[in-house]
Amino acid sequence: MPPTPTALLELARAHWPESADDGLPPLAGFTASTFSPLVAEAAERCLRARYGPAPGPGPTRTALLLTSGSGDRATAAAIDAAAASQRRVPPLLFFQSNPNAVLGHIAARWQLTGPVVATGTVVPAAPGEVPADALELAELLLADGDADQVLLIAAEQAEHQDHAVALLLTLR
Amino acid sequence: MTGATAIVARPVVTGIGVLSACGHGLEPLALATAQGTPAFGAVSRFDVTGRRVQRAALLADAPPLAEAVLTAIGDARRQAAPATSAAADDSATPLLLALHSDLGTTGVTERIAEGARRQWGIPAVTRVYTGACVAAGTAVADAAALIASGRRTRVLVAAGHLVTAGVYAAFDAGRALARDGEVRPFSAGRSGTLLGDAAVAVVLEAESEAERRGTPVLAAISGWGRSGDAYHVCRPVPDGNGLARAIEAALERGGIAPDQVGYVNANATGSPLADQAEANALHRVFGGRTGRLPVSSTKGVHGHALEASALLELAVTIAALRSGTLPVNAGWTGQDEDCRLDLVLDRPRPTRPRYALTLNSAFGGANTALLVAA
Repeated sequence: MPPTPTALLELARAHWPESADDGLPPLAGFTASTFSPLVAEAAERCLRARYGPAPGPGPTRTALLLTSGSGDRATAAAIDAAAASQRRVPPLLFFQSNPNAVLGHIAARWQLTGPVVATGTVVPAAPGEVPADALELAELLLADGDADQVLLIAAEQAEHQDHAVALLLTLR
Repeated sequence: MTGATAIVARPVVTGIGVLSACGHGLEPLALATAQGTPAFGAVSRFDVTGRRVQRAALLADAPPLAEAVLTAIGDARRQAAPATSAAADDSATPLLLALHSDLGTTGVTERIAEGARRQWGIPAVTRVYTGACVAAGTAVADAAALIASGRRTRVLVAAGHLVTAGVYAAFDAGRALARDGEVRPFSAGRSGTLLGDAAVAVVLEAESEAERRGTPVLAAISGWGRSGDAYHVCRPVPDGNGLARAIEAALERGGIAPDQVGYVNANATGSPLADQAEANALHRVFGGRTGRLPVSSTKGVHGHALEASALLELAVTIAALRSGTLPVNAGWTGQDEDCRLDLVLDRPRPTRPRYALTLNSAFGGANTALLVAA
């Protein structure tokens, strides 16, 4: 039997953008692309909605689950271009190229000690929605016991408008 | 703390397929890791002029990534279905992949999905894990959880990483590659890692399903743990407490005490900071027994296969348990006082432990631990 996402209780939800002129704050160390700032801002809004300002209530066994169909296209393109031209690759691209890195930033800032998971979305969801597979995985992580909560972030780097949604979830 | 899942089925491995720089199949990989024979050579796949380091462990005549992963899946399925066993029906079997996230990921996933559907009737790629060096470890943990909880009776997990110019250049620029061209896990003077090719697949089944089909069990996944350091974007927490929590979760799920573990296949990449943090994690969990617990990292042989590394090292660990020969920690040249462990050095160690751990850590403070039983 596939897992039942209705077993999940949504504690908080946030989006980026929230309006047409919504700004994306820069994220130190992540300069090549808007992808990691997008993930960080959606997560920040969601956690702030639940806890107020960082670092929140102290260490919690919260898993971080990032899912994206696009991935960080801008950083990947920057690396490929630099490698193909034999130019020196900017050293910061080393960790920016990895979807876990921004999750490490969020985890350290909010003291989230649960599993750190990144997945590629196979079946995309509509903007503002979360792919069903990511909800199933969140439910599995919670039911399996390595986390009490899951911060699920679905982020897409799109041609016209990046968008992300973040949910803080637990079991009912 | 963990183990909320009521375990209704025991996850076991019934098939393994491997392509690595050591060759095609588990046997050449097991032989090279047992003997500690490095597979590194000069990089000729792409231009490395101007890079600080110019070595990696590459498959000779590597096929395209999707083809390599499909070959590994085919090999694993074949081993899991010997002629004497009943055929397995994969028309509803989840296929979990672990791949690097880049501009080619979607295309590779589609080609693997199409090949798996056409050749074996596997309906789709269920999910792609892209979380760096714990991607495949997380996939195995999730597959084990699906089986242990009774949600699934059979799950395929496959992973692939073939060294590309872009990833190589990024690692070189980040000064993550070993300046002296060798990976020296836990050793004094270690200076970084080297990348390696791998395509690996495992068939995981409920033990009862393997018994029903009459398929030999290669090993059991007795426990698994996943944790985060909550410390830094790319550095591990120095005291190893995140990895220690993953290990403790795996032991708890397995229902065993630390002193029942007889071998650890370590993550150690040859990185000065990460290897020290991992040694600290082992001391936290195993305490005074750490000095008598055999440990080796086999990355000094097959290199760092990034998203595929945990599955490659699971294969090595299963081969070690089955052969009773613990692999050599290749590349070691001298004691680092911050990494005091019972390393398997110089020659393979003949011993036949019941339980082994295989560990992985990644950027973002991600950690996985898999407890493997012979």
